[in-house]
This record gives sequence, structure tokens and C-alpha cells, in this order.
Amino acid sequence: MLLERERERYARQILLFGEEGQERLKGAKVFIAGAGGLGCPIALYLAVAGIGEIRIADRDTVDRTNLNRQVLHWERDLGTPKAGSAEAKLREANPDIRIKAFATTIDETNVRDLVAGADLIVDAMDNFPTRYLLNREALRSGVPLIHGAIRGFDGQATTIVPGKTACLECIFPEAPPAEVFPVVGTTPGVIGMIQANEAIKYLLGREDLLANRLLLWDGMATTLETYTVERRPDCPACSPGVRP
Amino acid sequence: MKVRVKAFARFREILGSDLAIEVPDGAVMTTALSALRDRAGDEGGTIFDETGALRTHVILMRNGKRVKRSDLDTLVLADGDEVAVFPPVAGG
Repeated sequence: MLLERERERYARQILLFGEEGQERLKGAKVFIAGAGGLGCPIALYLAVAGIGEIRIADRDTVDRTNLNRQVLHWERDLGTPKAGSAEAKLREANPDIRIKAFATTIDETNVRDLVAGADLIVDAMDNFPTRYLLNREALRSGVPLIHGAIRGFDGQATTIVPGKTACLECIFPEAPPAEVFPVVGTTPGVIGMIQANEAIKYLLGREDLLANRLLLWDGMATTLETYTVERRPDCPACSPGVRP
Repeated sequence: MKVRVKAFARFREILGSDLAIEVPDGAVMTTALSALRDRAGDEGGTIFDETGALRTHVILMRNGKRVKRSDLDTLVLADGDEVAVFPPVAGG
């Protein structure tokens, strides 16, 4: 049941999807992997939308070079763990939801616990090895994964539903080279909003997700296109017989 | 015949947006890639490796469907085909 103040807080979106939809969001648990350029706007918008439990994990501390895009971290947070910094802002933004913050590196030893019981995994990482790990955990647990990545003015996103859609390794069999990537804050803002929007739609049980579609954002040309992607029969992560 | 090429992100800056390349009738994908390599010139290093092959992480599509690396020499193009090429990104 929604509290009276929740009915008020979410009044404008209850107009869109009713109290039943809002209760679905309240009952949802989302794991956001990363509290950086993507993770900050994703977590903020999912928090104010009333997602009942947000888990967020990040191993880093706030550095001044983060501040052009990681909008939950401010000058006063320099040198402190991003997980705690994000948690404090999210609690203030919406005191009616649960925030669980983990100042930890996501790896093989803890990914299962971080995802356990979640309805959704949101990929806000900055590297492909951890993304592949999240993808494998999504496939193992059956929890959908909303992928996003950015560089410069460019970004991509797709929604992975285990057993139904192409997985991350189907779409990206080879990781792009690691680098110190250039970025302006608007790019993770755009891609993060697409991911958060996908998360809300998925939790509401809506159709027309970015399933089997790869969205490409080119911020310099201001174009947004989607391309059909397919499962690879020989995918080492999700093809039958190879799947862990 | 003409093949339309759509390049995204950094590749658009190198190759130009929405270009058309001329290839002989019956040309295979490798021929189209070779034309793109010529067009990219000195800036092609982010798209092609030292041997001239498409870098392994680059995504190549024809008419909205992904093209496997093993099909490059046998995939025959048709007039009006659309080839899309883009670099996945990894930041967050």
C-alpha cells in the first residue's frame, strides 16, 4: 500500500500508470553496478521514481575529474567513497525508499550476493570485463540486464532478457580497447536516462523494451538509431551447452 | 553499383556521414571495406588494424543485420545495400 505522502509525491506519474504501477515500483529491487557518470543519473531518477530498493556498488573515491559528469558527487565529497556519497544524496532525494550502498569492487566473489533477490541489473560500469561478469550473472540468475556505455559524445544501450534476447557477448564478442575515455556529462546523462526509462518500463511490465535492439546515440550529429541484434548460436556465454 | 554506408560516432568523423561508395557489380563486403579503408586514409587506424583488417571490436552491419567476420569474402552486395559500421564504446 502507498502512504498518503507517496500518493502525493508520485501523483504525476500515478496519472500515467496508476497506483498499481507505483506499487510495482515500490516493490522492486534494482542493482545499479557503478556510481559514476551513468550510475549517478540512473540512481537519482530511479530513486525519485520510487523504486523501493536501490543497491548501488562502486569501488572508487570521488576525484575532482569526476565532477563534470558524476552529478551525485560534489566538491565537498572529494576523497570520500562514491558509494557513500551517492547514498547520502539519494536518501535526501527520497527518504521513502531503501538505499543499500556498497563501497566494493564487483567481482566473481560478490556478484551473486549483490544481484540476489534483485528484479533488475543496471550496467553503469566503465569497463567491459566487469560488464561481461554482470552479463554472465544475469544469464545464470535470469535477472535482466540493462546495458549502457558511453565515450565522448557517443553512447549505446540495450536491454538483455536472459533466454529471450541477445546477450552482451552476442552483441559485443570483443571488448573495445580500454582507455582513459573523453566524456562530456551530457552523454552519460542521455544514455543513463534511456537506461532508467527502460528500467521503469520493465518493472511496470510494459512491452517494447530495447530487447534485441541496440540503440546508438551520436551526440555530435544528434542522431539516435536502433539496430536489430540477434543471439549468436555460438555465443560462449548464452548458447545452450556452453552456458555456465 | 552504389552501396550506402552509415558510419557512427568517431567513424562518422573519419568517413563522413551517410556516404555512397561505388563498387563493381557482384562485389563482396571485403571490396566495400577496402574502399572505406582508402577513404579513411591516415585516420583509418581506429577502424582498421595494421594488416588492413577491420578491428575485431568494430561492429559491421548490412541492411540492419550483423555481418560475421568469416563472411566478409563471400557476402555479395547488391545495389542500394546499406552498410553500417560503428565502434562500441566502453566508458561509463
